[in-house]
Amino acid sequence: MHKSGLLPELTPRHREAFVGYLFILPTYIGFTIFILYPLIESVRISFQEFSLLRGSTYIGFDNYAQMFADGRLRIAYINTVIFTLFAVFFNAGIGLILAVMLNRRLPVLMRNLYRSIFFFPVLIAHTYIAVIWRFLYQQDTGVINYYLGLFGVDAIPWLSNAHWAMAAIIILDVWKNTGFAMLVFLAGLQSIPNEYYEAAQLDGANERQLFFRITIPLLSPTIFFILVIFMIGALQVFDTIIVLTQGGPGDATRSVVLYVYEIAFRTFNMGYAAAVSMTLFAIILVLTALQFWISRRWVHYE
Amino acid sequence: MAQTEATAFGQAKQSSAKRRKPIKAADIFSYAILTIAAILVLMPLAWMFSTSLRPTHESFQLPPAWLPTKFSWENYLAPFESSVPFVDLFINSMRITVAVTLGQLFTCSLAGYAFARLRFPGRDLLFLLLLGSLMVPFQVTIIPIFLLMRDLGLIDNPLAIILPGLISAFGVFLMRQFFKQMPQELFDAARVDGAGHVRSFLQIALPLAGPAMATLAIITFNATWNAYFLPLVFLNSWHKMTLPQGIALLTGYMGSGNPSVVMAAVTMAIVPVLVVFIALQRWIIEALTRSGLKG
Repeated sequence: MHKSGLLPELTPRHREAFVGYLFILPTYIGFTIFILYPLIESVRISFQEFSLLRGSTYIGFDNYAQMFADGRLRIAYINTVIFTLFAVFFNAGIGLILAVMLNRRLPVLMRNLYRSIFFFPVLIAHTYIAVIWRFLYQQDTGVINYYLGLFGVDAIPWLSNAHWAMAAIIILDVWKNTGFAMLVFLAGLQSIPNEYYEAAQLDGANERQLFFRITIPLLSPTIFFILVIFMIGALQVFDTIIVLTQGGPGDATRSVVLYVYEIAFRTFNMGYAAAVSMTLFAIILVLTALQFWISRRWVHYE
Repeated sequence: MAQTEATAFGQAKQSSAKRRKPIKAADIFSYAILTIAAILVLMPLAWMFSTSLRPTHESFQLPPAWLPTKFSWENYLAPFESSVPFVDLFINSMRITVAVTLGQLFTCSLAGYAFARLRFPGRDLLFLLLLGSLMVPFQVTIIPIFLLMRDLGLIDNPLAIILPGLISAFGVFLMRQFFKQMPQELFDAARVDGAGHVRSFLQIALPLAGPAMATLAIITFNATWNAYFLPLVFLNSWHKMTLPQGIALLTGYMGSGNPSVVMAAVTMAIVPVLVVFIALQRWIIEALTRSGLKG
């Protein structure tokens, strides 16, 4: 019988359990300190008037009540929702179009090259991309306005006009992230067996019918996954905005997470920041659950 | 994925051997769209590179020269000579990224193995609890973590970023899926030879887990190398900051006054990513697709 010096003398079943707990111990220490405890603590802080210097006092639901009167928070939520709707729609839509086109009869080399090109921005930090695009978006000296000018478009105030600034952030986000949607959609498309298409073609189906009757239903779990992932990510948009516009002009591009960051770490109003972050958390949970619920009507699992 | 691609292509070849299909207008249309999209993706990067090599007084030149016309390599030295301690930033980023990546490989492979192959009371509940934490956004936990780090005196210390990064629910999930797919016979044989659980893990499971460990390493490395939010919260002195922070500040300091130098700095920050991507792209794409589809 093998006797390990590490382990006490135990029955085999107890020994297996002992090793199991030992192996998950590092993860659970980290989980407890950096996820579970902060989550509970965050709820507690959200009921406090918090001050780094004077200590904190319990104030019940005041922080939550304060949110209803906070016009800037309302704007931040509206901005976040607008950004999320557009970013999810264009990231998923363009990603799907690119994937469908790459899945057509293409030389392998071309497919792999284009797939790599579309995907590469996903790997670059939002920060660096925002730094580059800040120059591209300049009104008088920017490359984008120069080319639009060739088509007779007047110089667009990308970063100084409220509406254009939001558009600028959405465009940048799609440029960076649609490659991820493309990659996942392409893998999904390639896993659809060819026989389905061949059978339908024998029955005289045209290309549009093939797409809407076969591709979309069989791809629906992938589409659903992409919609959920992109929605959760978009609701937490931060990096791009803080570099590109700092939430401006005015509050035009201030997202909820940027607002939480500012009240927590610039004005150190931790209690209120915690309360706001709890509402965002609740909204993300509800929207995700809602998507799962709606998905039962349209997502096909084989 | 490579396999499905090969078979799909094999079928295309077979049918074209019978009757070569004519290239349709639709094919030309999609070539055109794909090419335009590829150009749009590459343009900002091409502009970044060519601007980084342009003399400062020409950086705003319009129409932009997409290929470098001159080679002002001194732009690449400027970040090192500016008020931003570029070398320190690079080392700080590398230190944090390597520590986090190694830490996750350690914690995630152990926990993944336990959840996949060992039986103990409460296992499934503990796993679900961990998976549920994937739903908790970072901005919810950041305030208590900040206060904790402040009490520990770890503000402006890389440990404030490394410690929370040492575990990952996603990583545990990834490793668990991998260990679950291993054939039971391997472990039965080891048991017969008298190997205990620790030895089965170290000598059988771990040596075979290379692909899963590489996947986790690539994903974690890239995410940590690019992270901005945590460093922004915790690190505030010049010599402690990470590269993304430094480059964002470099832009701020020089305003839009000197794009060439800023672009040289950004290029230097992106080139490692590009090199790793080109070297490992098959791997990276497969890994991300797989984890994405199963996540």
